[in-house]
Amino acid sequence: MSDIGKVRVRLPSSIKPGDVVRVRSLVIHPMERIERDSKGRIIDKKYLYINRVVATYLGKTVAAFDTTQSVSENPTFVFSFRATDPGTLTITFHDTHGGKYEGTADVKFV
Amino acid sequence: MASTRGLQTSSSSEPARRLVVLALILAGCATVADGPDYSALPRWTTHALPQARGDVRVLPDGRRQAVRYEGWTTQDFGGFRTYAYDDTRPEVPVSRATPPAGVSGDAKKGRALFLSRAKAPCTGCHLVPGADVWPAGSVGPDLSAIGDRRLPDTYLYQQIWDPRVTFPNTTMPPWGASGAFTAEEIVHLVAYLQTLKGPIPPEQDAERNPLTRRRPTGFGDNLDPTNNPAVVLAEDAEKLWNASGPNGRACANCHDGGAARAMHGVATRYPKFVAAYGRVMSIEDFLTVHGPERTGRPLLAESEDNVDLAMLIKMASNGMPVQVDVTSAEARAALARGKASFYRRIGERNHSCADCHTPERGANKFLGGRMLVDVTEGLTRHFPTWRTSQGAAWDMRRRFQWCMTPLGANMLAADAIEYAELELYLTSFDNGKPMSVPGIRH
Repeated sequence: MSDIGKVRVRLPSSIKPGDVVRVRSLVIHPMERIERDSKGRIIDKKYLYINRVVATYLGKTVAAFDTTQSVSENPTFVFSFRATDPGTLTITFHDTHGGKYEGTADVKFV
Repeated sequence: MASTRGLQTSSSSEPARRLVVLALILAGCATVADGPDYSALPRWTTHALPQARGDVRVLPDGRRQAVRYEGWTTQDFGGFRTYAYDDTRPEVPVSRATPPAGVSGDAKKGRALFLSRAKAPCTGCHLVPGADVWPAGSVGPDLSAIGDRRLPDTYLYQQIWDPRVTFPNTTMPPWGASGAFTAEEIVHLVAYLQTLKGPIPPEQDAERNPLTRRRPTGFGDNLDPTNNPAVVLAEDAEKLWNASGPNGRACANCHDGGAARAMHGVATRYPKFVAAYGRVMSIEDFLTVHGPERTGRPLLAESEDNVDLAMLIKMASNGMPVQVDVTSAEARAALARGKASFYRRIGERNHSCADCHTPERGANKFLGGRMLVDVTEGLTRHFPTWRTSQGAAWDMRRRFQWCMTPLGANMLAADAIEYAELELYLTSFDNGKPMSVPGIRH
């Protein structure tokens, strides 16, 4: 998984000030699942998965998620926020091994 | 014998090549009734990953084990016919059979066999009552009330043992003749079928019944990088495109202006006959030989580099109509062979591609929970495609190999000529339709 942590963020192509916009984001991540031994017991180890997603815009947190292993690999997160001013939307994905992956999208008005 | 993958006629010397061309021209003139011409094909040495070559290894205890991808079965199906052109064995011979004496059928055992995923399962094609019957398919007839038809046991037995005795061109495999089910197991199956009598209980769950189940609707925009991870992975191939190989040269050195410009429209013409190699090649096949020749970098078939680069090259043609050559003499000869492969019955199950993928047979019906695609709609123009069930981008060849393994046939090397010509035949149905790579499918 050399591609782990690649992030893509996408906004609608035309946004007007004050619009509530839907943002789509995808992160390449294995999102390790719970493994069980031959007796069906959960193997205790530090599983690698994203457990926190934070989106910031104009210095404020506009969305935050605590996520678990029940989220698929290469997950997509979709949420809405109100675009008031030009600026950068930053989405940060944190995983259980301390990995921190960031993606940005510029909010521009046309 | 399964190890001799290449074809026996060979030689890359110039006079021989001229002969090849002459033979191809003659083949083009021959009448259709003569069938495809297999005589003029080069011997091909595979350039595929070890797990993608269709090798069979012999273990110290003498057992034979097929080498396939991680997580795939290692069962050797060497006893059954494959797609190799030099595999001249006949399909599983038609055989008549009567129920063995002294075995009484047990309907309970029969039902377990009918549902057993380790066996067929019969429910992949046939619907029977029961909430535990999931997912049932609709390729074969609904058997929910077959017991009401008062068919003799001997008839049902023969139908399962080898239905070709009654229906020579049936889609149903010869389960007994191929050895997939034993005589005793078939007696149990018959006993179970005879218990299926009406009235059929009302359906509790519309999803259980393949006739009322919702059709799959796809996975949304396949070119949206926040929807299809393969788009993100393919973007990486740009680095590969620009990176020098051991020879000190990169793809970008010869092909100016970036992959998107240099490769614009190129992929719409593949698979095609490449004179330099004397065979039909897809982009993926061509990369396995052309890449290392120019850059020194291996680009083995089914390697991540090969598939990523193929995606990058094909993406440069997205939106453009597929236009593979179907008219030149070489193309027509290859198409005739590819079409013959499409209708060739192979493997333990004695299936052909046509059984599942032509509209008059299985296409647009459910095989278990999966909707079978229709060859006439064109199946190839979104490959390599992201497989949500596999978490990886697969090219057409790996999809072929995946398709034929449960049919009980050993696979060929991913870059085999046989696969290239089969792919060309499939792609001929995509002609005129826009490319859209990478796709996203289950």
